Amino acid sequence: MGEYLINILGMASLLAVIALGIALTYKMELIRQLQATVNNLKRSLDEMDEQSRLIVRTDMELNKTQEELDKKITGLYALQRLSRAITTTLEESQIFKMIEATYLEDLGFEKACAFLWSETEKKFLLQINIGYLQGEAEAIKSSLDLNKDKYLELIKSERTVSSISQPMDASLGEEIKGVFKVESFIISSILPKEGNRGFLFVGTQRLDTLINEGDEELITILANQLGQALENARLFEKTWRTQLDLEKKVEERTRDLTRVLNEVKNISNRKTDFVSSVSHELRTPLTSIKGYASILLTGKLGDLPPEIKDRLDKINRHSDELVHLVNDLLDIARIESGRVVMKREPLDLKNVVDKVADLLSVQLKEKQIHLSSSIAEDANTIFADRSQIERVFINLIGNAIKFTPQKGKITVHAHKAQNAVQVDISDTGCGIPEEALEKIFEEFYRVDNPINQEAKGTGLGLTLVKNIIEAHDGKIWVKSKLNAGSTFSFTIP
Amino acid sequence: MAIQIGIGLSTEKDTLQAAQAAVRQARINIGAEKISLAIVFSSIEFAHQSFLNTIASLLGPVTIIGCTGLGIISNEGIFKHGIVIMLLSLPEGVYFNSACVKEISAKSTASAGKELGENLLYGFKNIRRDLSVIFADGLLRDESGFLYGLQQRLGTSFPLAGASASDNLAFKKTYVYFNGEVSSDSACGLLWGGKLNFGLGIKHGWRPLGKPRYVTKSSGNIVYEIDNVPAATIYQEYLASDLSQLRKELKRISILYPIGIYLAGEEEYLLRNILSIEDDGALVFQSDVPEGSPVRLMIGTKESCLAATSQAIDEVKMGLRGRAANFVFVFESVSRYILLGRHADKELEIIKEKLGKDIPIIGIYTYGEQAPLKAVNYQGRAYFHNQTIAILGIGA
Repeated sequence: MGEYLINILGMASLLAVIALGIALTYKMELIRQLQATVNNLKRSLDEMDEQSRLIVRTDMELNKTQEELDKKITGLYALQRLSRAITTTLEESQIFKMIEATYLEDLGFEKACAFLWSETEKKFLLQINIGYLQGEAEAIKSSLDLNKDKYLELIKSERTVSSISQPMDASLGEEIKGVFKVESFIISSILPKEGNRGFLFVGTQRLDTLINEGDEELITILANQLGQALENARLFEKTWRTQLDLEKKVEERTRDLTRVLNEVKNISNRKTDFVSSVSHELRTPLTSIKGYASILLTGKLGDLPPEIKDRLDKINRHSDELVHLVNDLLDIARIESGRVVMKREPLDLKNVVDKVADLLSVQLKEKQIHLSSSIAEDANTIFADRSQIERVFINLIGNAIKFTPQKGKITVHAHKAQNAVQVDISDTGCGIPEEALEKIFEEFYRVDNPINQEAKGTGLGLTLVKNIIEAHDGKIWVKSKLNAGSTFSFTIP
Repeated sequence: MAIQIGIGLSTEKDTLQAAQAAVRQARINIGAEKISLAIVFSSIEFAHQSFLNTIASLLGPVTIIGCTGLGIISNEGIFKHGIVIMLLSLPEGVYFNSACVKEISAKSTASAGKELGENLLYGFKNIRRDLSVIFADGLLRDESGFLYGLQQRLGTSFPLAGASASDNLAFKKTYVYFNGEVSSDSACGLLWGGKLNFGLGIKHGWRPLGKPRYVTKSSGNIVYEIDNVPAATIYQEYLASDLSQLRKELKRISILYPIGIYLAGEEEYLLRNILSIEDDGALVFQSDVPEGSPVRLMIGTKESCLAATSQAIDEVKMGLRGRAANFVFVFESVSRYILLGRHADKELEIIKEKLGKDIPIIGIYTYGEQAPLKAVNYQGRAYFHNQTIAILGIGA
């Protein structure tokens, strides 16, 4: 029984052991599977972490690029605004003041200064200072003056140097950092074509600000624009000064001319007064001479021998001419001095011409000259002083008759020209030499030609005509061709 | 009557002209005679005593509080240079107290925090306390300690939002403004109480990347080892660069790939920026990273950044429980400004779109943000955040 029990127990334990063994194997398998899963998970996690690293690195690159892009865009905006401010400034002293701290900040710098080298003073002149205290800026200036050759060389090189580019002399880069107390910098030459040249410095103390070629480009553009603006300002200044000088000169000349003109006027007035008084003085004795000659010619004081009569006739005729001359002179003097007022009234031009032709009919007939007139309908009425205008026509047609050979032609033509009536009196006479055209309206001027040598004349007729026309606010001129005729034209507004 | 608000902004370069212009504009906009409080944010170049003197003399006896930053935020836009002033005229039943603690580095940070808390509580005996807003020097070494001290006094679950002042990324000096004084190494705060409604949202949008790791050796804000190797190894591996290269690009790396501390139950990781890398590979962070913390390397994009803004506003709205906010504070990390670059303005568009296009907005770019965590197990305790946008909508 006991044995049987033991056997059963033994069997049971054996079974239990076997079952346990099976269970253990099963568990072991489970653990192995779990282990594998854990390992898988761990591997996935590690892989994921590996991916994360990639993500972070890519993200970092992306952010850097974005940052650079942002910086560039901001910088470009700042440059654009700054350029506009600089290029519209025409005063040299104001150009550098346009560079403001906010623009500079947008360009990625907090310190800036600009120096121009003065050839006359042999030193650098500080134009602008941003980010440095007064004392610091002065220290920089004296350091520049002390090492002027290096910096002048730099300006001359027309290059942009920076803390990332290799300046021609490697120690210079470090020296600039020291002098300007910055970590990164860009220096670009300011090169106007004329006058003081210099350079623009920008820099930053920040360690994390990385400058690149793009920054160099922006600062070079800025420096170039500063140079251009300086050039413009200097040119403007020069032009401005020249203009001022010119204006001053014009003013001086005008003053001189006015003075001379006044003198001339005075002289002319005195001449007119003189002519007027002399003419008056002449007229009295002339009247006596003519009176006595006339009395003698009447024979009331006894008969005269023909020789004397002949001489007296001459005296009488010459006296008449003299009276005529004196009257003309007096008229000219009166008109010039403004003592004669033109009594302007509406006149029928055709009427006037006819009347004058009538007056001159004897002479016309004598030389068989044909006088014709064509007066436009709208030019027939003029506003002028009747007797004066008659004198104008008498003189001009008279002259034409005088200088036109037998069977010649004289035409009077009138038409409306702008706000005036223009009258042209043409003849087929001998014409006026070119050199005389300008002078014929002068007093006592007589063209040198055979007719004049023969014919009588005072040389006052055209002067009188000119005075009368001008007293009517009109103009008179002449066109002529030698041996082909002349045309005298005048206008009456 | 509701809170009356007037915002003035100036981007004038001259300090005094800017102060005058901003105050004038704010006064016109507020339209109220009685001014209770002035909040002033400015870029670093305005951190002059004369600047604050001008504002103080123009406003008279009004509490002035604020700080400097990389840039300022207002409804009119985001400006790298400028000042923004918000004048508040509080209705009856809304109260506030202000205080400032100076020379923090001479004290323990926790005791400085306690001091500020005590001063803020002074005179607030029988009034319902709602919310505290603080502005601190952005270069304080142990800001978590400071917060800890402050919360010891105000209560660990007491709602708190804050900004750590910044400068122009030089990390040289930041300033806080308090009444007539400009100071560094200090922090100032406001304690609000009475019938005040508010909603606070805090989000960053960064996502974890790669294997989870554990901080195996750290002390305060210095992490010596992660997964038993020098802490910097994680960055060396990920970016395939050596220590000197890492140091050179530290600012960029720190902003783009901060360390995230996993907090159980929280939607987002708590971010920490690196301040420096020691020779032995230890990483010095802007605030504490406790030993044993599960940490990950974090990555963010412009899109995730902007999505975070939108989510933060949703949280603000949730906090307000259907009531309207009268104005909005934005405390935003300088990192986000850098990451968003030219798209920084988009954030403002999102805020206006979600909270109303005319809502007064005033904000500053910061080196750190203080705000509570949401999950229940943190009991609403405020933490120091990096890379984050904190939006605080207040109504009364």
